[in-house]
Amino acid sequence: MMAPILQVDGYTLGYRTGGMARRVLDDISLHIAPGEVLGLVGESGSGKTSFAWAVMRALPRNAVESGGAIALAGQDLRAMPHKEVAAMRGRRIGMVFQDPSASLNPALTLGRQVTEVLRRHRGMGTAAAYEEAVAALRHVGLQDAAGLMRRYPHQVSGGEKQRVMIAAAFAARPDLILFDEPTTALDVITGARVLELFAALRAETGVAALYISHDLALVARVADRVAVLDRGRIVEQAAASRVFAAPQAGYTRRLVAAVPRPDRTLPAGTPGDGAVLAFEDVAVTYARRRLFRPAPAPSASGIGLAIRPGEILGLVGESGSGKSTVARAATGLVRFTGTLHHAGRTLHGPRDMDRAYRHAVQVVFQHPDASLNPRHRIGASLARPLRLYGGTDADIPRLLDQVRLPRDYAHRYPHQLSGGEKQRVAIARAFAATPQLVICDEITAPLDVSVQAAVIELLLELHRAHGTAYLFITHDLNLVRQIAHRIAVMQHGRLVDLQDTTSIAAGAGAPYTRALIDASPLPVGDSP
Amino acid sequence: MTDALHRLVRTPQGALGAGALCVLVMLCLLGPVAAPYDPEAIDFLGRFAPPSARHWFGGDQLGRDVLSRLLVGARTTQPLAVLATLAGTTAGAVIGTLSAYLGGRSDEVMMRTIDAVMAIPGLLLALLIVSTLGKGGGNAAAAVAIAFVPGMARITRSVALSVRRQDYVSAAIARGERGTWVVMAEMLPNVAAPVVVETTIRVAFAVMVFATLSFLGLGAQPPAPEWGLMAAEARRFLHQAPWMMMAPAGAIALTAIGFNLLGDGLRDALNPRDER
Repeated sequence: MMAPILQVDGYTLGYRTGGMARRVLDDISLHIAPGEVLGLVGESGSGKTSFAWAVMRALPRNAVESGGAIALAGQDLRAMPHKEVAAMRGRRIGMVFQDPSASLNPALTLGRQVTEVLRRHRGMGTAAAYEEAVAALRHVGLQDAAGLMRRYPHQVSGGEKQRVMIAAAFAARPDLILFDEPTTALDVITGARVLELFAALRAETGVAALYISHDLALVARVADRVAVLDRGRIVEQAAASRVFAAPQAGYTRRLVAAVPRPDRTLPAGTPGDGAVLAFEDVAVTYARRRLFRPAPAPSASGIGLAIRPGEILGLVGESGSGKSTVARAATGLVRFTGTLHHAGRTLHGPRDMDRAYRHAVQVVFQHPDASLNPRHRIGASLARPLRLYGGTDADIPRLLDQVRLPRDYAHRYPHQLSGGEKQRVAIARAFAATPQLVICDEITAPLDVSVQAAVIELLLELHRAHGTAYLFITHDLNLVRQIAHRIAVMQHGRLVDLQDTTSIAAGAGAPYTRALIDASPLPVGDSP
Repeated sequence: MTDALHRLVRTPQGALGAGALCVLVMLCLLGPVAAPYDPEAIDFLGRFAPPSARHWFGGDQLGRDVLSRLLVGARTTQPLAVLATLAGTTAGAVIGTLSAYLGGRSDEVMMRTIDAVMAIPGLLLALLIVSTLGKGGGNAAAAVAIAFVPGMARITRSVALSVRRQDYVSAAIARGERGTWVVMAEMLPNVAAPVVVETTIRVAFAVMVFATLSFLGLGAQPPAPEWGLMAAEARRFLHQAPWMMMAPAGAIALTAIGFNLLGDGLRDALNPRDER
């Protein structure tokens, strides 16, 4: 075996906050051989990003390294003088971040940001760097590379930005590249293209890489070996194909079990007849029409959709496809044209939404941190819908029981709860009004896989107990195929497909739906 | 709230500011009792008496004891300044939050009106109001309060705009809550932190505006022992008896510094994310 590019032995790291040291990485030992891609998987707070910064030698001031060694090609990075570290970053270890719009400087052209790497790390002159940068951009599959050189980050799409970041990282010809969730901020299809690019570049340059992600299915496809990180400890290291097929550690087994798999449908009853809420030609335009300007494009238009009583209807689309706009229209948060039909009434706008409608249609938002008022205790947040819709404060313990939270949580503030617990409170608040329909707007997107599985389990349980219909909005096709009766697909503000989940599994669906399915990473390593 | 106070006292600025505030409250409560002489007793033999063991801060042009006047004057200056600031900032905060909540045309109308009022400098506006309403402490307080509204409304609106976009406000609207509930219970508590901080800083301003109004003869009227008025009267004798000026000026400056420090401390203490 060749000497490893990166060798980490017994590395331990903590952060000092308020006089107390909190350990984030505990006795980490791993290595990356030349040309190898190691996947590092962990849930939020497991310390995976801290590890990347430790390798980059860019730790915050309150970091305490209490032992272990990090060696890059046999050279101890911890003992390296400051000046050499600065020269090493970017030159020998490249890094690609999660959010390409935050990691590119908005005030500099894309070309400048690529040529700077070449001039600094490969000592090129201005003209040579320009030629090389254009070549590098063309290499990562960007059309019109010369034109892109003059553009600013806000003038190109997220996928193009991430390609520029990758071009810049590869341009310095580093020994090792760290990828920190490079596709998380991108759409499913764009992310899949970036992964294809990564595979191609890797086959060509043979660079070693550390690929950090929370998505086990994705890492298993990208990496040769996978290390699973649980609260700062590596619990398992194995070949990528084995981690999924035969997980060893208990934590990995739980993680694998929690990954949504379309072939494992969860029973959810049969929907009734009629419609609890129907959309008819609904359109929403956010921007106001201005004088002498062309009319702004609508965020969603021509939406026709009927949700049956007790039905789970999945609404899928990429970011910006208008799926959240549909939720905002149905809850009266934006003005819309067209009509909504509910309980024999026709609604033409938010003003028509009376108490009975609000009672019947409730919403749970994406971010649990933002959807609970930070200055209200949990009990106070739950008491409002009860008071509005004929309940009393005495029902609060019952609501908390229903979402499996301890009763004394009523006296806590939101910041004392974890993300998953906060989302349970938001769900309890929606169910406090005993609604007929709950709109779930990406409610599991910010949660870890294992927490997501528990929240889905809870939703299905409430569904069985109350027969509530759900409009389940998500970008995760695998997840929605597990639970929904029907799936609607949106693209560019229009509904492009509406299928039974069973017929999607059988291979039906519009071309765009099939493209989405192909781009959704499926668990690998299964027995075919 | 108690842990916010606890955090406040743990920062050096907060502790100093809170200490200064305590001293001021004591002055207001116990000033008349602690004053060694009657603040309005005239003593011809003690005219322009330099600071000594008998008169710590000296005597003024009528032989009145400056220390006594300072101690008694705390009561006329401080509560009025605090009250005027509270009235002005509360009104401004409600207007700003309401404007952010309503948005659109109502927001536009309210904010342009505020802009128009803001175009007049605060002191000038206060002068205008006092000269319209008439001289006197209460009118001066009203003037200061009104002069503080526009600035406060602007500050609150900018914070409230970001709160307006939060999902808990959307959730309240989607739940069918009334506008008053959304503004008063959902939004206002979340814009409170910057408002409270700004309020403490503005108390210092208010003290100074009061002093200025009194100095110009539009606030408290002689022979009231008001700090600004004392400074105004001392101006004529600056070369003859500089201590007459130093005592009230020093007291005003210390009050301003104390409230500023308190504001800095509160800014850190009221940040809920900061749980150190």
